[in-house]
Amino acid sequence: MGRIFLRIAPASIFICAATLAFPFCLKADSDAAKVYKTNCALCHAADGSGETASGKALNAKDLRSPEAQAKSDAELAGVIAKGTGKMPAFGQKLSADVIKSLVAYLRALPKKK
Amino acid sequence: MGGLIGNRLTNLRFVCPAAAPFLAKVLGPILAIASLLIVFKPEAHAVPSYSRQTGLPCATCHFAPPELTAFGRKFKLDGYVFTTKPEVTDEKKDHNAALHLLEVFPLSIVFDTSFTATKSPQPATQNGNFQFPQDVSLFLAGAWGSHVGSFAQVTYTVKGDHFSWDNTDVRYANKEHEFFGKAVTYGIMFNNNPTVEDLWNSTPAWGFPFTASNVSPTPTAKAIINGALGQDVAGLGGYAMWNEHFYVAGTVYRSQHIGGPQPNPGTGSIFNIRGFAPYWRLAWETSTKNNNLEIGTYGMHVKSSPGAITGPTDSYTDWAFDFQYDRTLPQFKNDVLSFRGTYIRENSSLGASFAAGGAAQPGHHLNTLQGNAEYHYGTKLSGTIGLFHVTGTTDPLLFPPALVFGSATGDPHSNGYILNVSWWPEQNIDLAVQYTGYTRFNGGGTNYDGTGRNAGANNAVFLLGRFVF
Repeated sequence: MGRIFLRIAPASIFICAATLAFPFCLKADSDAAKVYKTNCALCHAADGSGETASGKALNAKDLRSPEAQAKSDAELAGVIAKGTGKMPAFGQKLSADVIKSLVAYLRALPKKK
Repeated sequence: MGGLIGNRLTNLRFVCPAAAPFLAKVLGPILAIASLLIVFKPEAHAVPSYSRQTGLPCATCHFAPPELTAFGRKFKLDGYVFTTKPEVTDEKKDHNAALHLLEVFPLSIVFDTSFTATKSPQPATQNGNFQFPQDVSLFLAGAWGSHVGSFAQVTYTVKGDHFSWDNTDVRYANKEHEFFGKAVTYGIMFNNNPTVEDLWNSTPAWGFPFTASNVSPTPTAKAIINGALGQDVAGLGGYAMWNEHFYVAGTVYRSQHIGGPQPNPGTGSIFNIRGFAPYWRLAWETSTKNNNLEIGTYGMHVKSSPGAITGPTDSYTDWAFDFQYDRTLPQFKNDVLSFRGTYIRENSSLGASFAAGGAAQPGHHLNTLQGNAEYHYGTKLSGTIGLFHVTGTTDPLLFPPALVFGSATGDPHSNGYILNVSWWPEQNIDLAVQYTGYTRFNGGGTNYDGTGRNAGANNAVFLLGRFVF
C-alpha cells in the first residue's frame, strides 16, 4: 500500500499543483473582461472577432465591426438582455449594471485590434 | 463501435487455476453475457438540464445527441458551466469566498425502451426481446459553481433490476487566461471511463454506435481502452486546450470495482490495476464556417493482476489514432455530413495469464479499425453507416471455444457493419432502427464457435425509443 501511495500521490499532487499553479504564468483579466469571457467569448472570441469554432458555426458577429459598433448603447444592451437569432438572452442572469459595463467593454474592443 | 462487446474472461482462470475448465467453459459464456449487459450498456450524452441551464436548444450543442458540435465541445471543455439563467450568487470580496448556484437543479432523465431480434436465437433463449424499459438514466448534469460542473449518470437496467453508477465526468475548468497571447482553457477532472472526458465522437466512450442492444451477441476481443474499464475505474486528470487548436489531456486511473467489496481485494475482478494506469490524449483541431477537422492520438498503459491485487501481472499498451470531420452543407439548408474513424493497436504481455495456463503465449496484439459516415438531415433525421474490423493474435486458450460467445479457432478476427437511422420528431425524442451485420465473428464466418453457429446468425435488428426530459 505504501508503494502504491508513493506512486500515486506524486502524480496526483503534480496534476493538481500544475493546474493550480498554471494561472501564475498566465495573463490575468480585469472584472469586465471576466464577465465577457465567461458569457461572450465562447462564441465571439476573446478579441470580439467571432473567430472561434463555435462562433464560425453559429455566424457570431464581429463585435469590433462598424456594423456592430454602429448600434447605440441601448440597442447593444437590448441584444444582450433579450438575445437575437441564435444568441441566447442574458437578461435573467446579468444585471442592468453588468450589462452596462459589458457594453462599455464592447466599445473598447475595436481599439484593441 | 461502442457496441462491439468483448471481454477477457478467460483471465478468470487465474483466480483459481484448478477451476479453469469450469470457469472457462461453463461460467465464461454466462459472465460474458453479464459483462455485456452490465459493463457495456448503451450510453447517453445529451441531457435537458444543460438546455435549461444555457437557454439553448439541444441542437446548439449536438448535431444529433450525443454528437457534439463545436459549441458543445466548448461547453464541455469549459466545465459545463455556461449559463444564461438566474443564479444564487455572492461575489468574492476581500477574503470571502464567492457563490454561484443554479436556481434550477440540474437533473435530467433518459428513458430507453427497445426491441432486439437476432437472425438466429441464442440457444434456449427468447428471440425478439422487448425491454420496457431497456434502461433509465438519471443525470446530475450542469454547473456546480462558476468553474465546476458535471456530467454524472446513474442507470437502471432491466437485467440488473437496479441502479448503478454510470459514466461520470466532473471537472474544474478555467478559461480566463491567455498563454503566449492565445486563449487557453485548462482544468482538472475526475472520471470513471477512459475517453469519457474526450470532446470528439471518434473515441470509444462517445463513439458510434451511439445506442446499442444489450442482448445481441458481440465479438469477444476488445482493446482495453475500448470500453473494458468503463465504470470500473476511478481517475484524476488534467487537460488544456490552447488557441482552439491543440488539446492535451492525461488521467491516471485505479480500479474501483463498483458493487464489489471495499477496499478492493481483487478477487472476482478481471482487471486489477497495479499502481496506476496512465491515459493520454493529444489532438489538433481546425475549423472554418462550414468545416471542422480533428486528428489525434490517445492511448493507455495498464498493468493488471487478474483476480488478485498482488502477484504476476498482465500488461496492456494501447496506441490509438482518430479523426473526425464535420462538413456543413449550406446548399442543403445546413445539413451536416460527418466522417469519423479510429485505429487502436493493443500490445499485451500476458505474463500472469500465460503462467497460469490461460494464454498460449505471453505476447499478443489486437488491431481494431472502425469508421463511420453520417448524414444529418437537419435535426430531424440522421443515417449512419459504420464498419468495424478486429484482428489479432490467435490464442485458443485466451479465446476458447464456447457456445455463441467463443471461438473454435482462438482467432479474435471479427468484422462487420452497422446501419443506423434515427428520427427525432422532437429534439429530445429519438426513434432509431439499427441493423448490425457480421461477415466474420470470433474468427470465422461459419461454425465460428465450434457448435455450428455462423457469424450471420448474430446479425441483429435493434429498435429503440429514447425519451429525454
